[in-house]
Amino acid sequence: MSPALRASGLSKTFRVQERRGGFVGALKGLFSRPTREVRAVEGVSFSIERGERVAFVGPNGAGKSTTIKMLTGILQPSAGEAEVLGLVPWRERRALAYRIGTVFGQRSQLWWHLPPTDTFDLLAKVYDQDPRTHRERRDRLVDAFGLGALLTRPVKTLSLGERMRFEIVASLLHAPEVLLLDEPTIGLDVVAKGVIRDLVRARSAEDGCTVLLASHDTGDMEAVCDRVLVIHDGRLLLDRPVAELRRTWLRRKVVTLATAEPRVDVERPGVVVRERSPHRTVLEVDTSVTAVEAVVAAVLAATRLEDLTVEDPPMEEIVRAIYASATRAGAAGGGR
Amino acid sequence: MSARAPRLRLAPYLAAARLAARDQASGGAEALGRAAFLAVLLLIFSSLWRHVPTAASGTDPTTLLWYLAITEWVFLSVPAVHLTLERDVRTGDVAYRLPRPVSYLGMRVAEAAGVAAVRLVVLAVTAGGLCLLLGGGLPAHPAGLLVALPLGVAAVLLGIVAQAAVGATAPWVEDVSPLYWVWQKAAFVLGGLIVPLHLYPEGLRRVVEWTPFAVLLNGPASAVFAPDGAATARTAGLLVGWVAVFTLVARGVHRRGLSRLGVHGG
Repeated sequence: MSPALRASGLSKTFRVQERRGGFVGALKGLFSRPTREVRAVEGVSFSIERGERVAFVGPNGAGKSTTIKMLTGILQPSAGEAEVLGLVPWRERRALAYRIGTVFGQRSQLWWHLPPTDTFDLLAKVYDQDPRTHRERRDRLVDAFGLGALLTRPVKTLSLGERMRFEIVASLLHAPEVLLLDEPTIGLDVVAKGVIRDLVRARSAEDGCTVLLASHDTGDMEAVCDRVLVIHDGRLLLDRPVAELRRTWLRRKVVTLATAEPRVDVERPGVVVRERSPHRTVLEVDTSVTAVEAVVAAVLAATRLEDLTVEDPPMEEIVRAIYASATRAGAAGGGR
Repeated sequence: MSARAPRLRLAPYLAAARLAARDQASGGAEALGRAAFLAVLLLIFSSLWRHVPTAASGTDPTTLLWYLAITEWVFLSVPAVHLTLERDVRTGDVAYRLPRPVSYLGMRVAEAAGVAAVRLVVLAVTAGGLCLLLGGGLPAHPAGLLVALPLGVAAVLLGIVAQAAVGATAPWVEDVSPLYWVWQKAAFVLGGLIVPLHLYPEGLRRVVEWTPFAVLLNGPASAVFAPDGAATARTAGLLVGWVAVFTLVARGVHRRGLSRLGVHGG
């Protein structure tokens, strides 16, 4: 059986028009505008088997969305090849559309004034589903996502987390074989993020649906996926199991403490102070040396905690570390 | 599951139109605002026509008011589909609406048709009621209203596809407002929005009556002066022709625009 997704040397270069400054420049711009080339994706190759859950991570502007747009057939690559479920996306976009689902954070396909069930009925027509099959699948998904009580409420009255759960249901209604998610948890609170991640993973496990999840949130990757592709400046930097990435690059957590005392000192191995101001301390904890719980216990022994957040380092930092490591190893294109 | 061959299906477009109609009806304030605007307009012109000698026009103030009500009914019923298409390009939404087994442009036009259906009903009731109230009765040839209604509905479809063609230029011009402004003002002046074309200079009238602007507004509304089988058939034929022309233009421009997005970025 062919892989679910395959890309080989996939590249995309955009010609970006530039504007000249000033009134004369604006007048000249009416007749001709200078353009420059921007390489959004360069020589990206990977293969994803059916049923795999793969994270596609990188900082903003790394080329994740452009790659996904090529894989859904929206953009034609400047060079290279790709196949999704054996189809060339940009040549067979409509045929492919029946077999893939897409979720884009901050974009909505739900009708604002109407309940989600109305949008679902429209999607049944769009995807040519017979009404009985549609109703059965809709009810099953709505139950699994815990949305039964909200199905007939106007979308405008739902919270962002509830809306995003409905967005994912909308993308799964036609039983896609491949689900492409682009920043599905962006803007959500911690609880809503957790719910979305659990549901995507569970649905994929149950339906055997292949998942490609683009995100700049390492939490999405860790909770949903088994494998990770790291992209930076349009190039694929790394292709590894998530467990390996966790051991190597995701050991560190950033712990921000708001304390009653103006200053708190935590003398523990693997703990480094990143920032300090009165009543606020930001620590970087190497969890392979000292657990976050031990750090918190030490702080509680010394002072009263007003607030506490534990985060992964920003994706930009992680990618910089991976890039530096790959460069040191003399394999800037490592993993490709 | 095997790949399905693309084929023309009307069901998704009809469903999109129905849903858009329900959405428009649910957010009723917008349609009511348009009805209020139409009411103010008819109030002003009913007063104006009472004080301006209209004998030279070969008609009476009541019929002139019905004429204006019909042109405005058509014009105000056309949704701003050009702005929807522009917004989709500007925000990048167009890219996210493309991976579906239906035509993006077709769905947007269908949604506009659904919105228009609600507006047509609300504005027809408003316009009819106010004309009876302010104009003092039916037009000189009441049977013309029965002709104007279906022609008006077809004219709204023409307005939608023409504005879709304007909106399809968004990948080039980014802001479609100037182009729409030209279309709108040409429709006001050459379409006979306020003054019927039969009062225009003969030479000008002969030229403009074939244009989409005149077919859009004067075509349906002029039926209230005297229902004329030949004129009705000609208007209907021109409506079909111009709808076909603008549909082809909108599709062609949209396709070229998509390839441009692919080159210059979404």
